[in-house]
Amino acid sequence: MHFTIQRDAFVHSVQHVNKAVSSRTTIPILTGIKIEATNYGVTLTGSDSDISIETFIPASDGEKEYVTIKEEGSIVLQARFFAEIVKKLPGEEIEVAVQDQFATTLRSGSVVFNLNGLDPEEYPRLPQLDEDNHFQMPQNLLKDMVRQTVFAVSTQETRPVLTGVNLEGEESELICTATDSHRLAMRKASVETKTGAMSLSNVVIPGKSLNELNKVLEDSTELVDIIVTESQVLFKFENLLFFSRLLDGKYPVTKNMIPDHAKTELVLRTKELLSSLERALLLSREAKNNVINLKTMNNSEIEVSSVSAEVGKVTEKISCDTMEGEELRISFNGKNIMDALKVIDSETIKIRFTGAMSPFTVQPTDHDQMLHLFSPVRTY
Amino acid sequence: MDTSPIRKIIHIDMDAFYASIEQRDRPELRGKPVVVGGSPHSRGVVATCSYEARPFGIHSAMASHEAYKRCPQAVFVRGNMQKYREVSKGIMDIFYEITDLVEPLSLDEAYLDVTENKLGYPSATYVAREIKKRIKEKTGLNASAGVSYNKFLAKIASDYDKPDGLTVVTPEKAPAFIRELPIGDFRGVGKSTKEKFLEMGVHTGSDLLSWSEEDLVRIFHKRGHTFYNNSRGIDEREVNPYRERKSMGRETTLPHNISEYEDMLPIVKDLLQQVLSRLQADRIRVKCVVLKVKFYDFKQITRRTTLDDPTDDQEVLLAALGEQLEHIASLGREVRLLGVTTSDFHGAGDAAGGRGKVYKTTRYEQLRLF
Repeated sequence: MHFTIQRDAFVHSVQHVNKAVSSRTTIPILTGIKIEATNYGVTLTGSDSDISIETFIPASDGEKEYVTIKEEGSIVLQARFFAEIVKKLPGEEIEVAVQDQFATTLRSGSVVFNLNGLDPEEYPRLPQLDEDNHFQMPQNLLKDMVRQTVFAVSTQETRPVLTGVNLEGEESELICTATDSHRLAMRKASVETKTGAMSLSNVVIPGKSLNELNKVLEDSTELVDIIVTESQVLFKFENLLFFSRLLDGKYPVTKNMIPDHAKTELVLRTKELLSSLERALLLSREAKNNVINLKTMNNSEIEVSSVSAEVGKVTEKISCDTMEGEELRISFNGKNIMDALKVIDSETIKIRFTGAMSPFTVQPTDHDQMLHLFSPVRTY
Repeated sequence: MDTSPIRKIIHIDMDAFYASIEQRDRPELRGKPVVVGGSPHSRGVVATCSYEARPFGIHSAMASHEAYKRCPQAVFVRGNMQKYREVSKGIMDIFYEITDLVEPLSLDEAYLDVTENKLGYPSATYVAREIKKRIKEKTGLNASAGVSYNKFLAKIASDYDKPDGLTVVTPEKAPAFIRELPIGDFRGVGKSTKEKFLEMGVHTGSDLLSWSEEDLVRIFHKRGHTFYNNSRGIDEREVNPYRERKSMGRETTLPHNISEYEDMLPIVKDLLQQVLSRLQADRIRVKCVVLKVKFYDFKQITRRTTLDDPTDDQEVLLAALGEQLEHIASLGREVRLLGVTTSDFHGAGDAAGGRGKVYKTTRYEQLRLF
């Protein structure tokens, strides 16, 4: 293998695939990045067997020449060193050449690195996915959906299926759900399908994969193709493929957890509640429980308070835009509510309570594409 | 004679617990011999191994390098106790959905008294099946269950058909079941007791039945009563949900043998700190601290110091351990393992010396959505 490549394009690609490489893997070859040069361009692959990322740098895209191929071939180089090295090389071009025994030379300007490579034949092949179940959505919408749900996945290993975000799709509506059994975040969107009707059910993508995907997603309306199979999901970009393993196990049915009635309903400003909770959490964080108390008052006000036995107490009144229904005193994990408020982009929210010991919902007032559900904290 | 109705006891034992969790979370390990524990190149031991590793003769507490010798293709994994503790917590929660009479024995093992249970099922077999199902659904892991009318038989039953077993020993079946039982499977029969029994010509439960209670007590002292009763299917021990931890300890096998006081003290200090951080989290003070030493020839000794007042002060405890350690060092023998154990627990600020945790006045419980 022998080629010269534009440094910037190469660094950009290497950094993308490097996101999938993990230093703690049981398969030694996966600590490397695979580089494959053909007359069409250069393909890079990184994987930790849960996530795999493949990028392609075309020889040229009509406007610009990126790669000059002198000899086709492939090699695997240790990601730890390779990713750092290409970033620090001085020239505008990098020359990569493989000799005998996988010995590889990287040359840029007057710098020469000789690296010991690994046998590319040992590198596992990425799965070929059956593209039956296939839909498309704009990158920025996908980025929003991930951001607005993934924070709510469980970090506990007790129930592995809860460490992922569940995708359900019917007709042209996609529903993403994440829950750790104390709080739940749900986001809907309509998407385009190639075949007309999409049917997704119990497709659970690990939260970790989605956090990595979000770093690849750009704030553009360009479409991304999403292909779902039994055990894998593939996000297909113009010159990048992002594969993730799906989680085994049955995702809980969450539809009927969402209450269809309310005993107390508040409408208030998102930012006002958020900063009030931030203040109250200053004390409950100290008590390590994040417990916040909320009490309805007369004249459409609520009182937010928090107590720490060692430090002291805080109370604050907030006036609501509207308040309907019964009086209420309730306690909850303020950190969980804050996490949700931070991803709600609307100016006002509606909170629907169903009693002091029952779940309550937080929703934006200007659309019904998003819902957050919380279980309260019992104090005794 | 006890005239109360027959009890229904379930013993649940998770199958290859740590190894199964690793296989669950790392699909590439499934179907392979997996050994959780010390590295094969260290002097550590096997904590658990997967069922695929067992045909090679690997078992818990075996030296890791021995396990490696028997099965070099096994995947050796450093355990993640934090994760195992979380999974265990989830499983224990399932037990409490069934009954409050739960006696956890370790992270992966517990007795449940389901004579009365929250499911309202009269059949303990049905309850055991339900527990196994809930564990499988929630954690994806297999458990083996033993169902019987006392703890002794329930525990033996859970081991009878591992993995993923469910064995029921009814009062009718018990005598035949016990007669067949190898003597090594009886409660309290370890390696040396087993040898003694074999010398006496006792190989199975059936052989044990021919011995009188007096003779067994003469030979085995207090344990003789247990052997006598157990061989007749009698075990009156109750499932004790309040069983508290009575001691807390840590030990470590050294990478290589040492004999100098100056080399041993930092290791003892480190072990003590680990123990103290657990104790302090539970606001427990201790009156007794024990130093354990295993020499190069695997002979081991323990040295105990009892303090006048309960304490969680590292300086006080380290002073006591340091004194013991000086004695050990003066022997000039090579040491391969050091351990620190504390016992005789007291609640913090509790002059009367009461036991257990001290709780704050207001308690919180995060409710669940499902």
